[in-house]
Amino acid sequence: MANDLPSEFDVIVIGTGLPESIIAAACSRSGQRVLHVDSRSYYGGNWASFSFSGLLSWIKEYEESTDTLNESPAWQERILESEEAIVLSRKDRTIQHIEVFCYASQDMCEDVEETGALKKNHASVTSVNYTEASDSACLPTEDESLSTLSFEIPAEQTTSSNPESAPEGNYAEATEEKENHCSDKTCVQATSENVPTAENTGEQPRENIITYSQIVKEGRRFNIDLVSKLLYSRGLLIDLLIKSNISRYAEFKNITRILSFREGRVEQVPCSRADVFNSKQLTMVEKRMLMKFLTFCMEYEEHPEEYKGFEEITFSEYLKTQKLTPNLQYFVLHSIAMTSEATSTTLDGLKATKNFLHCLGRYGNTPFLFPLYGQGELPQCFCRMCAVFGGIYCLRHSVQCLVVDKDSRKCKAIVDQFGQRIIANHFIVEDSYFSEDTCSNIQYRQISRAVLITDRSVLKTDSDQQISILTVPESEPGTFAVRVIELCSSTMTCMKGTYLVHMTCTSSKTAREDLEPVVQKLFAPYTKKEIENEEVDKPRLLWALYFNMRDSSNISRNSYNGLSSNVYVCSGPDCHLGNDNAVKQAEALFQQICPSEDFCPPPPNPEDIVLDGDSLQPEALESDSMLHTNSETHKESPYLRSPVEPSE
Amino acid sequence: LIGDTGVGKSSIVCRFVQDHFDHNISPTIGASFMTKTVPCGNELHKFLIWDTAGQERFHSLAPMYYRGSAAAVIVYDITKQDSFHTLKKWVKELKEHGPENIVMAIAGNKCDLSDIREVPLKDAKEYAESIGAIVVETSAKNAINIEELFQGISRQIPPLDPHENGNSGTIKVGKQTTQASRRCC
Repeated sequence: MANDLPSEFDVIVIGTGLPESIIAAACSRSGQRVLHVDSRSYYGGNWASFSFSGLLSWIKEYEESTDTLNESPAWQERILESEEAIVLSRKDRTIQHIEVFCYASQDMCEDVEETGALKKNHASVTSVNYTEASDSACLPTEDESLSTLSFEIPAEQTTSSNPESAPEGNYAEATEEKENHCSDKTCVQATSENVPTAENTGEQPRENIITYSQIVKEGRRFNIDLVSKLLYSRGLLIDLLIKSNISRYAEFKNITRILSFREGRVEQVPCSRADVFNSKQLTMVEKRMLMKFLTFCMEYEEHPEEYKGFEEITFSEYLKTQKLTPNLQYFVLHSIAMTSEATSTTLDGLKATKNFLHCLGRYGNTPFLFPLYGQGELPQCFCRMCAVFGGIYCLRHSVQCLVVDKDSRKCKAIVDQFGQRIIANHFIVEDSYFSEDTCSNIQYRQISRAVLITDRSVLKTDSDQQISILTVPESEPGTFAVRVIELCSSTMTCMKGTYLVHMTCTSSKTAREDLEPVVQKLFAPYTKKEIENEEVDKPRLLWALYFNMRDSSNISRNSYNGLSSNVYVCSGPDCHLGNDNAVKQAEALFQQICPSEDFCPPPPNPEDIVLDGDSLQPEALESDSMLHTNSETHKESPYLRSPVEPSE
Repeated sequence: LIGDTGVGKSSIVCRFVQDHFDHNISPTIGASFMTKTVPCGNELHKFLIWDTAGQERFHSLAPMYYRGSAAAVIVYDITKQDSFHTLKKWVKELKEHGPENIVMAIAGNKCDLSDIREVPLKDAKEYAESIGAIVVETSAKNAINIEELFQGISRQIPPLDPHENGNSGTIKVGKQTTQASRRCC
């Protein structure tokens, strides 16, 4: 397929994560000939988003992760005497400790298949038991967490894989592998029969039972992010999207609520002026205090006397010295500044608070935006820009090695999976592509992630279409605060009637150990018992995935062994909420490659470059000022503008 | 607008939007999408046509490309059996990544070269019927059936229903104001 790949480029980019994609777009935009490859079959690397079946395949891939790549033609033959090779890794080692739990009833009578899916994505229920056996030894809290996990499961535990034999109405059965009860090889499966699987799930009232097969069937409605981030509405990424006009490839939604979790309750945090005044949780006095403090934070730099002497202490200590009630201190610390109680200094906190306030109001009532269809759209937008300016794209294309000239120590070419040698001047390589040898000196941090599908919001309101961010503070020293982002179906990331919840924190243990306590605080497993009791106040878990992702950010380039000066390293996603790190990284590397060039300037009008014809119709000239909109978004006749639609 | 490299996707857009044909059109560079408004009944349909920007060449089209498309034109070259073969792959891909109710149209381009035809119209018709797609043979060069192709799509696009979904309040980030329209890739 790739036989006709040109053999010479200016820049070769390996990996399609966000920083790599931004660099590719910037280089291509500046006239460099760019080859952009990814060994995977999808865009984004660890920044990708998946449909439900796509995510199951992704899980399976790591589960089966072996070195069973097809034997490629030997690269050794392609290397000259005067050259040596930096062999790239053939296996991705950035994801660990994958664990999947299914709580929704699994209707196994049907051969469930996602509508329109291809056979390869066929997601059978049996593919849901995975964990890495290797980490079982080091899980001291295993028993405890397991038993708490399954506490709602009815006593009549039958290990039944044949739903026909299950008693009617027995919705939830825990099918645990018995002898593995204390190991990590667990999967709490709830099987069921006679669950009404109505065809038209979209129309179902929320009280209806959501089964696993429905999730699979509606799997295309899901766009599940591997990294959970938001865009600060005045952050570097938004600025870059606007500057480069790449923003027209994407659409966003404003986060609608900032939540806090305090004393076991989820509450909405007032953050804008209007919110503060409308808040029912705050007293008049508190409102005034909060407004005064936030106003100060907006321009804290101009009032150094206010925080002088407090620079050395933590922000939480500093807040105690201010005229703020504990309630307000909590809001500011955890929900507005979103800083760590134990480690953030006063200045960190003030800076974060100011940044938050600064971003408020640009696009709505909170400072954050979320891209429709998930975070995984963003690398693709940049890739499209790169392609529009001639960048060549090759997924499923792996690179065997970088070829280094012995004399000049410069990298001069790559040898790809087909043994083809492709020369270039600059090589941008994402961290995960390097072999263990190259990274042997590096101690990576890890990110703990959980992806949950739930049946309702953590904080119910009139609208079921809320997008919320919640920070759950660290529970004990040595652990980290957990960031929770809850997405509703109108973000185009989950099916109607469900919510997609992302949890993220810096790892101290495995993802499940880090995050399960928070999951248990906020959610209850989905069981029949609770459906009967109408008294449930916690949202119910339908499905959960835990995994650890390598955090390769902020690693000094010198830590990598033996890289040539024209090989540039991009990191994978970091643990922060925003995307500033990726943009900074991309811009810095771009400046090294093209020192005097502008970084992602707006593209010229299409009519200047598309055609030299003379018969341009006015309509065609509009292209540049057009912003495409989702056809499903605006269901009105095409010549009406910005109609007010009834919100759900 | 999807299909194999070199089947004439850009030429079709060019003919449709600008009524122009360039013999030496180079592989698409620099164009991301073009627009044209077509009357259909008492509605105006604005076509926002996304070109693939060459990402199809090594079968690496970003799924983002399909988002929110109301219709897809899948193009093959009637003089190349291979391109008809890949068309089926595109249809599969579209079914997997595209919106569910997408209108599909198959265009057998270069019908001015029917003396070196490799794909019989009958095959295309049978296939199109099996997937419920519109099918026409077109020639961007001689302006045959290009208008008809897009009019056919226009007729198939279901009337707009403002109550159907709650996806209101999406934000376009940028300098310009939003404009409502429907896409076609």
